Amino acid sequence: MSLRRQGTTLFAALLAFVGSAVVLQLWLLTLSVEALLGGEYKTLVPAALGSTVLLAINAALLRYVFRFDREAEEK
Amino acid sequence: MNTDSDQEGCAGCQGTPKWRQDFPIEWEGDHYVSRREMVKFLTLGSLLLAAANWATALASRFLHRGSHVERYVGSTASLEQSGSMLFRYPTNEDPCIAVRTPEGKLVAYSQVCTHLSCAVVYDKAGNGLFCPCHRGFFNLDGQPIAGPPTRPLPRVQLEQRGDQIYAIGMEG
Repeated sequence: MSLRRQGTTLFAALLAFVGSAVVLQLWLLTLSVEALLGGEYKTLVPAALGSTVLLAINAALLRYVFRFDREAEEK
Repeated sequence: MNTDSDQEGCAGCQGTPKWRQDFPIEWEGDHYVSRREMVKFLTLGSLLLAAANWATALASRFLHRGSHVERYVGSTASLEQSGSMLFRYPTNEDPCIAVRTPEGKLVAYSQVCTHLSCAVVYDKAGNGLFCPCHRGFFNLDGQPIAGPPTRPLPRVQLEQRGDQIYAIGMEG
């Protein structure tokens, strides 16, 4: 199996994971805005922290994608 | 416009249709690039969503300001007459209601219903705060006990100095 074909399958899996994380972030943002308008400020910072953790995971996966891409280019 | 190479076909392309020679897309490579770019795009979206989440957290700091200012509410005499008294706190755009409970305790809440922002009124018979828009009902601890509201009313901290009542802060 060529590295590019492996990459296609791998990127599809990563895409599903990153997409799920983005949906979770969207849900967190909806909750935050609702809490903000409702005057419940206690949940805002934990929600923002959760969103940042998801962003960090996504960024780490993107870094892996770049590294894989570089290796595929070299080969 | 046809060129010589189109007419002749390429070397090693024997048996390949002409349209394939003109449009030599490798689908495997195409999928590889489009998925890689989609991961990039979604990560950018993730960054924006995290930023928006922090923006809401920061916005709450600004909305919270002025909630600890001190403001004159009224005299106890005017409260005793009707059992409740309307005032504005912390700004002139924030209606609030002060109530003397049957136990003699002085409490005050935002008058804005946490359901759809109608003004709640004191219901002496029901011993609570009633929202006439959708028949929401809060007890005198500010907790919703009937109707559509699910969140408690924000409480105003009061201080009594002689027969004068002052609002000194907002909770929740």
